Amino acid sequence: MSTIRLRSPAAFWLALPAGLWMALAVVLPVLLIVWVSLWGGTSVSPNNPITFDNYQRFLSNQNYLWLIGDTLVQTAMIMAITGVLGYCIAYFLTVKVASPGWRVALFLAFVIPFWTSTLIRAIAFVPFLGVNGLLNQALMAIGLIERPIQAFLYSRLGISMAQVSLYTLLASGPVVYMLNSIPPALREAAMTLKAPPIIVFWRIILPLTLPGIVIGQVLVFLNVLADFITVTTVGGNKLAFLGNLILLFYEGSQIRATAVVSVLLMLLMLAGVTLALRVVDIRKIGG
Amino acid sequence: MTLADVPVIPQLDLELRHIRKRYGDFVAVNDVSLQVGKGQFICLLGPSGCGKTTTLRCVAGLEEPDAGDILIGGREVTGEPPWKRDIAMMFQDFALFPHMTVAKQVGFGLEMLKKPKAQIAARVAEVLKAFEIGHLAERRPAQLSGGQKQRVALARAMVTEPRILLLDEPIGALDYSLRETVMLELKTLQKRSGISFIWVTHDQNEAFSLGDHVVVMNHARIEQQGRPDEVLSRPRTAFVAGFIQGNNVLEGKAGLVRDGVLEVMTALGTFRVPLLDLAPPAAGSALSFSVRAERLIERPGEDVPNRIALRCITVEYFGAFRRHVLEGAGGTVVKYDQFGALPQSIREGENIVLGWSLDNGVLHRAPPA
Repeated sequence: MSTIRLRSPAAFWLALPAGLWMALAVVLPVLLIVWVSLWGGTSVSPNNPITFDNYQRFLSNQNYLWLIGDTLVQTAMIMAITGVLGYCIAYFLTVKVASPGWRVALFLAFVIPFWTSTLIRAIAFVPFLGVNGLLNQALMAIGLIERPIQAFLYSRLGISMAQVSLYTLLASGPVVYMLNSIPPALREAAMTLKAPPIIVFWRIILPLTLPGIVIGQVLVFLNVLADFITVTTVGGNKLAFLGNLILLFYEGSQIRATAVVSVLLMLLMLAGVTLALRVVDIRKIGG
Repeated sequence: MTLADVPVIPQLDLELRHIRKRYGDFVAVNDVSLQVGKGQFICLLGPSGCGKTTTLRCVAGLEEPDAGDILIGGREVTGEPPWKRDIAMMFQDFALFPHMTVAKQVGFGLEMLKKPKAQIAARVAEVLKAFEIGHLAERRPAQLSGGQKQRVALARAMVTEPRILLLDEPIGALDYSLRETVMLELKTLQKRSGISFIWVTHDQNEAFSLGDHVVVMNHARIEQQGRPDEVLSRPRTAFVAGFIQGNNVLEGKAGLVRDGVLEVMTALGTFRVPLLDLAPPAAGSALSFSVRAERLIERPGEDVPNRIALRCITVEYFGAFRRHVLEGAGGTVVKYDQFGALPQSIREGENIVLGWSLDNGVLHRAPPA
């Protein structure tokens, strides 16, 4: 088998189609958005002067700053919940379930809902969380509540419940992978060196699954930041995060503001991923 | 009676009493009993799947036996988790923690004992120096060679000076060229430290050259245990005789007993084998005995009672000895080893009579019905 060397003509030609595609579908639109966000004037014209006025106007509005902060708080909260929940599920599936048959069955039960599109799953939460929804009926049936709880749907609680359910798999998957790649002998070696289970977890298992946790957190971070569907469908029109703001400005034909928020959102995402990469080298995973 | 009259029973490092372990229908360990005195080197020898590793894991507390007792240093530990037992274990592929430096790794056991930091650092430095891996202190396992990993794993296990060190095929992952050196080092280390070693292996050279006491296992049971020379010179079962290299195992039927000597009828003829401590078997019952390949005599004199007519098939020269593979009546294969750099005396295809003196035949216990 021959190998393709870096910077050889073969490598160049093989990378060309994907490179072209990326340039046209990703780089160019991003550059366009950045350009539009810097437009002065009021018309839609390539001759608009370049200025930072749009950013200044957006960032000097107290309400928008609050909204950025609120988006980050929501994202952090979902990251924390899905992180803990996802780790517990991953640990349970890979370590605690001893029978291989059960492990596959439970894993499929966990994964199959994620084969549906995000939009469908988000919309599916409406009949689940509604006043006459499944959740309220179930709670009333077991006598925990007497009348339906209104706050499930069209509320921040509802959005959070939906997002936790939607993104836990993302936090869990990489951890499952990392847990599976730890040889059982490591756990046993630690135990014969006088480490009780809690210390084995803390000193051996957790550090070895850290890359999985970080990757999961990055995935959740990116998805929650970009999520406007769940916020719209489950949150009604009562709430907005940065993603929804883009949509609102766009629908209001405020093309400059749309671009500004888009750029800010991308910068937030970039900052998050950069931070994560400082903690763990993703390229090492699986190598 | 004064205190001096009480016989001093040396405390055992390990005692197994009738250990049993099954996984579903598969019996992994069946009625295994073993006594390990202070600072002994024990080798558990057997083919893969014979239960030797499961026995070792029961001692470590990584498996819980279904029945039987385990005593470490005279204290009952059955049912106690590994971290409460006075043992350390070395794993087949070393099981080094990939995220820890060598120094951190070796200090792990001391950390678990909640020793002060300064004391840990001093002890780790001392142990690393003793194992000649001081220069590797800041490396991670991925940056170590096989031999270095082996030393780190050993240092990590021995740093806390446990009563017993359990070793699961500890040199199986090393290159052949390294094994002999490492074996010598480990034997010396064991003697000097006074820690009991329980060494699991499928390699009889390892077992017989290292062990003070060799335990041969097969099908979840102990077939035979004793000093290496005892097991080698007097295999008690057909399995042990066949598992140890250089034995001719012959099967036949019991005949008459006269003066403690049993007549055995085989396909190759009738032979006379001493009963020694075995009860005379019923006439006609199936049994087996063995003769070591180097104990055969070429062209024996009239005074040699056991004789076979054979045809030589192949002759292999190993340097230290020359092995002849011969065939007798009914296709029975017999091996004859000639030690010493002697000129070849039997040619391939030649017909020859071999024999052995009465006391070189070793009768086996009757197989369990």
